[in-house]
Amino acid sequence: MIWEKNPVLLLVLATCAILVGTIITMVLPFAWVNTEADSIASVKPYTPLELEGRDVYIREGCNNCHTQTVRPLVADVLRYGDYSKSGEFVYDRPFLWGSRRTGPDLARLGGKYPDEWHYKHMQDPAGFVPGSNMPAYAFLSGKTVDPEYTRKKMAALNFPYTEDQITGLAGKTEMDAIIAYMQKLGSDIPWREAVAAEIVGELVNPYAGVDHATMEAWEHLYKENCAACHGEHFEGGIGPELDGASLEENDLFEIIYNGVPENGMPPYSSLGADKVWKIVNFVKYYNIGEDHQ
Amino acid sequence: MEKAEYNYDIVRSFVNWSILWGLVAVLVGVLIAFQLVNPDLNFAPFLTYGRLRPLHTNAGIFGWGIGTFFALFYYMVQRLCRRPLWSDGLAKFQLWFFNATIIAAAVTLLLGYNSSKEYHELEWPVDIMVVILWVIFSVNITMTIVKRKEEPMYISLWYMLATLVGVAVLYLVNAAAVPVSLFKSYSAFAGTNDANVQWWFGHNAVAMVLTTPPLAVFYYFLPKSTGVPIYSHRLSIIAFWSLIFMYLWTGAHHLLWTPVPDWIQTLAMAFSVMLIAPSWGSVFNGYLSMKGQWHQMRDNYLVKFLILGITFYGLQTLQGPSQAVRSFSAFIHYSEWVPGHVHMGAMGWVSLVLFAAIYYLVPKIYDRKLYSIGLANLHFWLVLIGQLINSLSMWVAGLQQASMWHSLNPDGSLTYTFMETLAEIYPYWFVRALSGIIYLAGVVVFIYNLYMTVRRGKEVPVAAAQTT
Amino acid sequence: MKSASILYLGVTFGLFAVFAVIVFRTYSRKRKEKLEEPKQRMLEDD
Repeated sequence: MIWEKNPVLLLVLATCAILVGTIITMVLPFAWVNTEADSIASVKPYTPLELEGRDVYIREGCNNCHTQTVRPLVADVLRYGDYSKSGEFVYDRPFLWGSRRTGPDLARLGGKYPDEWHYKHMQDPAGFVPGSNMPAYAFLSGKTVDPEYTRKKMAALNFPYTEDQITGLAGKTEMDAIIAYMQKLGSDIPWREAVAAEIVGELVNPYAGVDHATMEAWEHLYKENCAACHGEHFEGGIGPELDGASLEENDLFEIIYNGVPENGMPPYSSLGADKVWKIVNFVKYYNIGEDHQ
Repeated sequence: MEKAEYNYDIVRSFVNWSILWGLVAVLVGVLIAFQLVNPDLNFAPFLTYGRLRPLHTNAGIFGWGIGTFFALFYYMVQRLCRRPLWSDGLAKFQLWFFNATIIAAAVTLLLGYNSSKEYHELEWPVDIMVVILWVIFSVNITMTIVKRKEEPMYISLWYMLATLVGVAVLYLVNAAAVPVSLFKSYSAFAGTNDANVQWWFGHNAVAMVLTTPPLAVFYYFLPKSTGVPIYSHRLSIIAFWSLIFMYLWTGAHHLLWTPVPDWIQTLAMAFSVMLIAPSWGSVFNGYLSMKGQWHQMRDNYLVKFLILGITFYGLQTLQGPSQAVRSFSAFIHYSEWVPGHVHMGAMGWVSLVLFAAIYYLVPKIYDRKLYSIGLANLHFWLVLIGQLINSLSMWVAGLQQASMWHSLNPDGSLTYTFMETLAEIYPYWFVRALSGIIYLAGVVVFIYNLYMTVRRGKEVPVAAAQTT
Repeated sequence: MKSASILYLGVTFGLFAVFAVIVFRTYSRKRKEKLEEPKQRMLEDD
């Protein structure tokens, strides 16, 4: 009867028991993680505005519904982009990988949509994306950033900044900040070029000559994926007005499939060729009327 | 024994307050469940889902869970050591400070001051309050045990001691941060390291807050309720050492397929599966203690709560390891399946055992007979059905969600857009919200029954208050 | 075999040995009574 009757010894032994796994799986990894071995030169610290945005993201608990890590799994990579690398997170204090995808993963959100898309979306997500259950964050537009507080934060994190960046914060709202942050997410490595989907083979419209009634059933595809920027009735908005007649089928397909990143048009290759062809036909022929054949 | 010496005041107070925080946790849970169905219910910035969800988990784990453990540990430690608390003054201060901490936590979380780390959201000043609270508690419990009048230490005391040191180590390490202002700090660890530390904490908070304390409670209140000893004290000892040794390796099963080094993930997966053994050691110990006593499932409502509780513990510790396997995790992780898992543990295992312990206690600490065993049974069925609907709806939702997320077309493209998958989950979320209302009704019956016991219950001498 | 592998193996066997010692100790016949005593005594106090 040693530890069975000695509570202090029991405490010491219990501590030892929990320290074995702790040391091996929690302490030792510091020797390998965030070292030269996994560092990525192009990954940069947050700018003052991005950092403020990140802090708004934390304050509002966005991580309760959004993850920020893409797994090396087919569906994850197709849906969100290149899988996450350890070196991309070295400036993340705290990490924001999250644990549940009530909303989509945001690790590769940066550069996917133009700023204007985000402003409209954050204002009223459920109104902007039909069926969304995300709360509205319009109130962020009414709160301004305190440049001196941001300076303190940058100093605490030892991030480099210029005086211009701090003075430039004057008048910026928390909405500006969180959008700047979202536009940085996952964009420090040139993954978009690396994973751009290639169109294999010759392009043939599988729905050539489709009738109007069939196309009507595809309207939901347009509404869910395109209407937010190009308008319910092709009238345009964040993106240009859509005039089906002005583009060839194949060009339209390529634009939708691969996007036009420099103009803010995201690629929709993850929808698959079939759905993209449906959207092509819908955009090109639906508003012309039934007699387009 | 000079029973009059036992400090029941502190037990009564902690029971009362923890039930209040438990009610808050369930109410907030119901609200955020409906927010997922209808985003218009995010009434104001401080009432948005993102700020309320940490309040829900903190009120549940720390207000209801830890608060009740404070009450039950103080009750058990006096009985098992056959002496009064080491310090009544410290305990009283702890009660006051506990409520101050919970209120500070609630207010700061609603204001958006949080560290973002799951189950450790509190900012550094409130963190410090938690640490003070835990030190006071640990000293009082440890000193009571050191100066005990009963030489052999029953297994519940072992689990209590492990809880004290486990929580201390976990909380302190994960709390490490650099403050920028009173309300803001940045983690001392970065990126992948931070993730690994956080889930070492996160999963072992499950071990040291939601496993070892309820096991201490279960090992005490099951024999007390049935009147027969546990099947094997030695089996409980083996299970004890194995459990506290293995748990600490498993945190990274929350991080499968992330940039955390593969070997850590593999170890986490292996140890998670191995954990079935010590977990089921306790489950078997509970079941075998019922040998010749199974009729008590009918006759003794306390036993019903306890045995269902340990059964959910058994299911939880099978489902958990299955989720910790890489292939299944790839499929199910990030989906609604996981909240279903968590709620079986929280509403099934932990809460059922705590309900039983409180039902057992209240007649003793108030010298009253329980107001209504019928209402206790109603409470049992409401929380059982509420929890089952909750977990089942989330499991089915998770399976459907995960299937749709991973579904591919013949050409290798995704079958469903994210919004198409989301649209399918609304009916499940609605059912889950309703299950919360059923559970809430159960908790209200519980509170009413206790209230009436204290107000109207028949006075009985302590010795006769033994409920069978 | 690399020295690291030998170390890992050593640690693993060491931990198994500790576990075996705890099991044998706990279940040795001469400690049976002592170690099962608390479960009876905890019922006495009421």
